[in-house]
Amino acid sequence: MALLEVDRVSVRFGGLLAVQGASLSVAAGTITGLIGPNGAGKTTLFNVITGLQPPTNGDIIFDGRPITRVGVHKRARLGIARTFQKLEAFNSLSARDNVLVAAEMAGRKRRAGRSVAQIADEALEQVGLGELADITVGTMPTATARLVELARALATGPKILLLDEAPSGLNDEETGAISVLLARLVRESGVSVLLVEHDMSFVMGLCSQLFVLDLGQVIAAGTPAEVQADRRVQTAYLGTSLPEAAA
Amino acid sequence: MKARERLRSTLGLSIGLFVALAAYVIINGRKGEGLPPFNLDNIGTALFTGLAIGALYALYATGIVVVYTTTGIFNFSQAAIGAFSAFLYWQLRVDWHWAALPAMALVIGVVAPLIGVGLDRLIMRKLEGSPVVIQLLVTVGVMYFILTATGQIWQQDRPRKLQAFYGTRSIDVGPVNLTYHRAIVLLVAVAVALALRLLFRSRLGVSMRAVVDNRSLAALTGARPDIVSSVAWAIGAMLGATAGILIAPELELDPSNLNAVLVVAFAAAAFGQLRSLPYALLGALLIGLARQFMSSFLKLGGEWTFAKNSVAPVILLLVVIALPQSRLEVGRVARNLKQHERTTKLWEAALGGAVLILVFFALSGGWLHFGIWNPGAWNEIALNRANVAMAMAFIGMSLVPLTGWAGQLNFAPMAFAGWGAFLHIKFALDPASATVSVWWLVVIGLLSAPLGAAVALAAGRLRGLYLALASIAFTEIMALLFFPHPKSGLRDAIVFKPFAIFGVALDTRRSMLILLVSIFVVFMIVLTALRQSRYGRRWVAINNSEAASATVGISVTMTKVVVYAVSATMAGIGGALFATASGSVDAVRTFTLDMSIPIVLLMAIGGMAYPIAAIFTTFQVLFLALGERLEQAGAPGWLLGVITFMRFFGPGLGAIGMVANQRGAAFETGRQNARFLPWRHDAKAEHRAERAKAREPEIGELGLLRPFTPGDLVGLERHLGIADQVAAGRNGGLPEGARHGVVGG
Repeated sequence: MALLEVDRVSVRFGGLLAVQGASLSVAAGTITGLIGPNGAGKTTLFNVITGLQPPTNGDIIFDGRPITRVGVHKRARLGIARTFQKLEAFNSLSARDNVLVAAEMAGRKRRAGRSVAQIADEALEQVGLGELADITVGTMPTATARLVELARALATGPKILLLDEAPSGLNDEETGAISVLLARLVRESGVSVLLVEHDMSFVMGLCSQLFVLDLGQVIAAGTPAEVQADRRVQTAYLGTSLPEAAA
Repeated sequence: MKARERLRSTLGLSIGLFVALAAYVIINGRKGEGLPPFNLDNIGTALFTGLAIGALYALYATGIVVVYTTTGIFNFSQAAIGAFSAFLYWQLRVDWHWAALPAMALVIGVVAPLIGVGLDRLIMRKLEGSPVVIQLLVTVGVMYFILTATGQIWQQDRPRKLQAFYGTRSIDVGPVNLTYHRAIVLLVAVAVALALRLLFRSRLGVSMRAVVDNRSLAALTGARPDIVSSVAWAIGAMLGATAGILIAPELELDPSNLNAVLVVAFAAAAFGQLRSLPYALLGALLIGLARQFMSSFLKLGGEWTFAKNSVAPVILLLVVIALPQSRLEVGRVARNLKQHERTTKLWEAALGGAVLILVFFALSGGWLHFGIWNPGAWNEIALNRANVAMAMAFIGMSLVPLTGWAGQLNFAPMAFAGWGAFLHIKFALDPASATVSVWWLVVIGLLSAPLGAAVALAAGRLRGLYLALASIAFTEIMALLFFPHPKSGLRDAIVFKPFAIFGVALDTRRSMLILLVSIFVVFMIVLTALRQSRYGRRWVAINNSEAASATVGISVTMTKVVVYAVSATMAGIGGALFATASGSVDAVRTFTLDMSIPIVLLMAIGGMAYPIAAIFTTFQVLFLALGERLEQAGAPGWLLGVITFMRFFGPGLGAIGMVANQRGAAFETGRQNARFLPWRHDAKAEHRAERAKAREPEIGELGLLRPFTPGDLVGLERHLGIADQVAAGRNGGLPEGARHGVVGG
């Protein structure tokens, strides 16, 4: 049974239909990718799932329960955590305080007997920022601050982690480390991941399931290999050559 | 589409409000005694008079809207410019006997645009991209500065009066009787409305709207943002000047009186969501009509006769709360924070607090000698001033968690303080006892918290400018509707009794001072502890990003309720202390917006995020006392002049200075000098790192607002480390194309 289901969601901004009847699902304990060209509606869909953007139509079902009308912070407490494409770290707080804020909001159940400080330190260690815990995030380079956001999301003890271009700005080595971290999280703690990403090698190696969004619609779904072979996906990414379009 | 729908809902709301008000007036108006009969003549006269008054409000409101739509800056100094212009016009017209037309031409046509352009060039342009809080505080600083300057140039040494145009002569239009002055006002308003409509349809108007969206982008498409924003400021100032000169005969010639219309202008502008001129005009007319009809046909019950004055703030609050608000937005995190933040340690706060108590103890006892000058023990007047000033400082400190940490701009500290004073009178003052137990302050604090929580629930969805406007409306409603009410007890000449602690009466002014400083220090330590707790972290988190806070599970609303309650608790206690320190309070003049604004400004200058910076709130009293002491000591006249200047103009100038230093003086001073503290190795290292950083211009600093000049190109070449090659190319060593390739052709 799917942990997260997006059921025919549409979002209209004035005259623009940013998302049109998009449906997707994320199975528990898997990594699912959401790809698509710029402006396809990926981030808007993330905002709908986390509650920052109410959908014009459609429903979000999490853990078998419709949450379309549930507030943002309550969804977070149900176990939905995210990072942002454009950085939304708490800039005037230190890295540790960023993570502590999140750890403090996680319910007793999810802390599983660990103290808030333990959870925070663990999360920082996981993303490799143990040494930089006392630095004010506003003074960090953007790529480092993104890792703080990731640690902050982990510290909420999520059931599903929504990552909006997590490796952007990181070098190959750091990107590789994130891949390993995500794979381990899924394996060991049973967390599900939904990620938006442009880096195809990152997506292809990591995800078991892909959804392709173009102009607000899901145009393809399947395993990475299936999606790669899909004609519509190639068209969306590369455009059409004229004779083929005519045919 | 959406904007239009929202405006329609505003229109619906306003018409609904007006109909309800009209129905109330008609039903109740008939009951009143001694009121004019409800006939066609009187209704017509009230209608035209109300429209004329509304037209005056409209002039103010349109000035604010024009500047806001073009530059994105909400101009608090609009009515202050009007007040200054009215006084200047009085100087020319009455004192120097100029004719009306040249005097007006000089004030409206020359001085006002100069003020507008000067404000734009010197101050406002540097605020582009600054946080809304800073933008607001700077324009409030400008307002305060202009009002102070007006009050200082034209001191209250003699009565001044501006006559209405053509005196009291009036015309009859059908059954309606209208003075010439008001007829002129109506004509001017219509002419201004038409002129603005034409302007906004012209090419300049299109540029104006483009500039506010994106200055750099507009520049690239050929608009000239510098000229456009200067034109907007000039128009805004001219509208303010016109309104000021026209409204002055209706009011007394007094700076703060002339500035009070600001709230009405805000209410009118809020009708049009601060952006639509026609709706702002409509709002202004409706408020004018509402006021006039209420004063003509409505007799409020004996205890509420003063309530008519609160029409504008009530409307402002309703409109701001009813306006559809944006949802939690992403992408608003300020990235301009490049400094390391360090929270004060608990022992540092305790040490600082102990030093503070000792300093006050020693100074007030006259134990400190400054070598050549021994100031001596403080007399009763000095002690009394110090008491009042410390109570103010405590009220100022209530802004630290709310505004400094949680980022909720609040112009209402004195409204909460007034509530505390009210509670003090109602509960703590016991006729049978000569003293008041100090523990009553705890009760007052606890009873003040719900008011803060209620404000947070009402205004919880508001942010930035709208929140500031709501807090202004709240302050005005408390000051105009609640505090003056006979039952509030604040108007009776109540003598406040000294506090007692453990049965010991603190009935000398010096013991009261030490109590005040001690309470200040206690809360300084409490706040420092709170800042390090989960609550403090959450407050800073919602300040940095409400969206991100919500996505980690923080309830933004609950967090705001808590921080407002904490702030209200402190301000409420501060109000009770203030009333006791003053001995008696004049509710109508004490717990007002006029008193709140200098507190907010001084806190901002001191550094809103630092509890100790609240000591800055004593600024004016400090300079007053210092001036007097120096005068007694025979200090030279120029020094006394400087001190007096600082006392009056310090808050305004300091707030304007935030253009350059957004974090507040206390922060900067502390930061620069922290390295001298023996235990601050981090500050020493940071200082060395800063010194080491080379002062090379960044590419971004070159700007995109103008074409590259030859100087910029040289700077760019040097930055890219290719200056030598390019120089060689210029001398013919490289082909022309090589150089073009480098600078992007």
